[in-house]
Amino acid sequence: MIYPLFGIVLLICIYTMRHYLFTLNRLFGFQRHPYIDIDTADWPPVTVLVAAHNEEKVVAHILTALMKVSYPEEKLLIVPVNDRSTDRTREIIDTFVQAHPGRIRPFHRTGGKGGKAAALKDAMGMVETEVILIFDADYIPGTALVKQLVAPFFDPEVGGVMGRVVPLNVGRNLLTRLLDLERAGGYQVDQQARMNLRLVPQHGGTVAGVRLSALREIGGWNENSLTEDTDLTYRLLLAGWKTVYQNRSECYEEVPETWPVRIKQIQRWAKGHNQALANYGFRLLFGKHLATSRERVDGFLLLGVYMMAPITMLAWILALAVFYQGTSPLHGIIAVLSVTAYAAVGNFAAFFEIAAAARLDSTPERIRLLPLLIFAFLVSIVAVSRAVVSQLTAPLTGAQFHWDKTERFRSPS
Amino acid sequence: MNPLPATAFLAFAAALLFALPLLPAIAELRKKHDAQPLRVNPEYAGDIRHFARGFRSYADALRQPLQECVAAHSTATGKLHNGDRYLVLGDSDNRVLLREGNMSGTSCPLVVVAGIDLALPPGLTFLKEIYACGQFIGGAESTYRAICGEKGIHLQHNSKVTRWVHAAGDFEADRNCDLYGRASSDGEMSLHSGCFFQRLNAPRIATGSASVATGSRLSAASDIPTEKPVPAKPNSRRLIEGDWEIQSGAVITENIVTRGSLRIGSGVRIAGSAKSSGEMVVGPDVVVEGSLISAASMHIGPRGLIGGPVIAERAMVIESGTQCGSVGSPTTVSAPLIDAEEECLFFGTLWAREHGHVVPKP
Repeated sequence: MIYPLFGIVLLICIYTMRHYLFTLNRLFGFQRHPYIDIDTADWPPVTVLVAAHNEEKVVAHILTALMKVSYPEEKLLIVPVNDRSTDRTREIIDTFVQAHPGRIRPFHRTGGKGGKAAALKDAMGMVETEVILIFDADYIPGTALVKQLVAPFFDPEVGGVMGRVVPLNVGRNLLTRLLDLERAGGYQVDQQARMNLRLVPQHGGTVAGVRLSALREIGGWNENSLTEDTDLTYRLLLAGWKTVYQNRSECYEEVPETWPVRIKQIQRWAKGHNQALANYGFRLLFGKHLATSRERVDGFLLLGVYMMAPITMLAWILALAVFYQGTSPLHGIIAVLSVTAYAAVGNFAAFFEIAAAARLDSTPERIRLLPLLIFAFLVSIVAVSRAVVSQLTAPLTGAQFHWDKTERFRSPS
Repeated sequence: MNPLPATAFLAFAAALLFALPLLPAIAELRKKHDAQPLRVNPEYAGDIRHFARGFRSYADALRQPLQECVAAHSTATGKLHNGDRYLVLGDSDNRVLLREGNMSGTSCPLVVVAGIDLALPPGLTFLKEIYACGQFIGGAESTYRAICGEKGIHLQHNSKVTRWVHAAGDFEADRNCDLYGRASSDGEMSLHSGCFFQRLNAPRIATGSASVATGSRLSAASDIPTEKPVPAKPNSRRLIEGDWEIQSGAVITENIVTRGSLRIGSGVRIAGSAKSSGEMVVGPDVVVEGSLISAASMHIGPRGLIGGPVIAERAMVIESGTQCGSVGSPTTVSAPLIDAEEECLFFGTLWAREHGHVVPKP
C-alpha cells in the first residue's frame, strides 16, 4: 500500500512543480506574443461559426457584436449554427439575417446527433474559407478580436488559435467570483506560460480559430467527443500543427451562476478530457508523430489534470490506511507528511498561480478571496471524482455519455 | 478541575485561527471592492492613430480661438478645462512663440496650436503636445512630446519625439531622429539613416532616400510581380524536421515549415509562406508571396520582395532594396529588434517592439 502512495506523491509533486514553473515563467520569463503586432495585412476570408443551442437569452448580443468588428465586411461571413433549438433562437437569428443581408448565413439544424461537435461537423458544408473562427453564443467579441484571432494563421505552422476568456458576470455571487479567479489563473498564467515555453496551449473551442486544411487533414470534428476542443488540440498536435494562445485577444463570457450548473460543466469537461487521455495519451507519449519532446510531456500532463482529482482523494485514503496499519510506522509518517505537504504546498501552487494572475491583471483586491477557493477546489475534486467513477463504470452500468448544455443566466435585451 | 472551559477555549481559538484568513475574503465578498469584470475595451482596435484622434477631439475646444487668430494674424493664450495652458498661433512669425512667458529657457510648457504653417528654430523642447493645421517643420535637435499635423511634418536632424506623432500628409524624419512610441502618416513616411523607431504605420514607409528606394526594380514593383505566375498548391504544407536549405533559383509552390533553421538561396521564389523555428536567412533577390515567420532571428538579403507579414520573435535585419507588402496589399513587419538598411520600402506597419534602427547602406 505504501508504494502506490509514494507513486501518487511523486505524481502530485510533478504537478506542483508544473504550477510553479508556469507561474515563475509568467512573472519573470520571456513573454511570447508573436502575432499580436499584425495590425495591417491582406486579411483572408473568414467564416465565424457561432454555436447556439437554445440561446435566446444571448444570441442577439454576439450577433450585434460581430456586426461591429473591424474586419473587411466582404471577407467576413457569420454562420450561426442553430443546433435544434426549441426556443426563439431561430427567430432571433433570422431577424439579424434580414437586417444584415449577405453578412449572415444561418445553419438551422433540426435533427441529428446532439452536441457541439456534431453541430459544427454538420455546419462545415457552409464553410469555404481557410480560416474558421468559433464562438459560443454567450460570448461578446470586441471590435479587434476577429483580426487578432486571424493574425496567427499567417504562420503556416499554426493549425489552431485560442483567445483569452474573461468572465463578464463576475460580481453576481461567490461562485462567479471564484470562477473569475480560476479563469484568470488558467488563461493569464497557465495558457500564456505554455505559449511562452512552446508547450501545448489548449484550444478552448470558443474565442478560437482553426485552419480548414488542418481540420480536414485530421479528419474533421470528432462528434463522439464531449470536449471537441481538447480533442482538436491533440489531433492537431499529433499531426504537427501548432495551437497558439493569444493572451491579449480577450473576450467576455458568462460563467455559471449556480453550483449545480458549475458541477455539470466541470463534469463534462472532466469526462471529455479523460476521453482524450484514453484516446491519445499513450500515443502522445510514446508514438511516432510530429510533436516535440516537451510537447509530449506537457501534453500528457495536461491530459491528466482531471485524473488528479480522484488520485488525490485516493492518496488521502491510502495515507490514512497506511498510518493506521502501523506495520511500517516510518513509511506511514512519511506518506502522511507527503500528502499533508501537498495539501499545504501543492495547493498553494495553484493559489500562487491565481495570485500572480490577479497581479498581472492589475486587480489586486480580488486576491483577498483566495482562501475561499479551497471550497471551490473541494467541490471540484468531488464532482470530478464522481465523473471519473461514472466514466469508469459506464461499461458495466451501460450508462450513455451525453452532452449537457451550460445554462445561461443573462437577461435577453 | 473542570476541563470544559479549557476545551471550549481551545475550540474557540482553533475556530478563530481558521477563520482569520477568511475575514478579508468575507469582507471583499460583502463590499465588492474589486468585483468588476476585467476591463476589456470592446471599441479598442489597437489603432496606431488612437492618440492622434483623441488629441484632435481635445484640441476641438480651441477651434474658435484658432479661427479668430488665423483671421486676425494674432495669437492667444489661455487655459484648457484640465488646467493645461495653451498658445494659439495665427501668425507664421515664430518669434511670437519665443516670447518671454511662452518659453522657459528653451522649453515650451504650453500646448501649442498652430493655424498656419509652422517652421521652428532648432534646439527647442516642447513639454506638451503640438497641433499643426498647416505644414510643420521642426528645427534640428528639438524634442517633442507629441505632434498632430493636419498636413505634412518634417523633423530636422537629431530631433526626438517621446510619445507619438501623426501626420495627415507626408512625414519625414532627417538623420538621427528618435521616434519613441507611435509614428504614423496618412501619406508617405520617410526615415533617414540613424533614425530610431518603434511603431510606424503609413501607406508607404521608405528608409533612406525615398527617391532612391523607388528607383529601378522597386519602382516597377508596386505589387509583387506576376509576370511568371507560379501555380501554387493552395494551403498545402511541407514540414521539415531539422534544418533546411532551399537552393538558389528554386521555385517552391507550397508553404514551408522547418523545425530548425532555414536558409533560402538567392533568387528563390516561394508561392506560399515560410516558417522556421530557428534562424532564417533569406538570400538576395528572393520573392515570397506569403508570409515569413521566424521563431528566432531573421536576416533578409538585398532586394527581397515579401508579400505577407514578416515576423521574427527575436531580431530582424533587412538589407537595402527590400520591399514588404505593396500598395494594394499592405502588411506588417514586426520584431523586438529591427535593423532596416536605407532604401527599403514597407507598405503598412513596421513595428520594432524594443528598438528599430535605420542603418546606412554598406
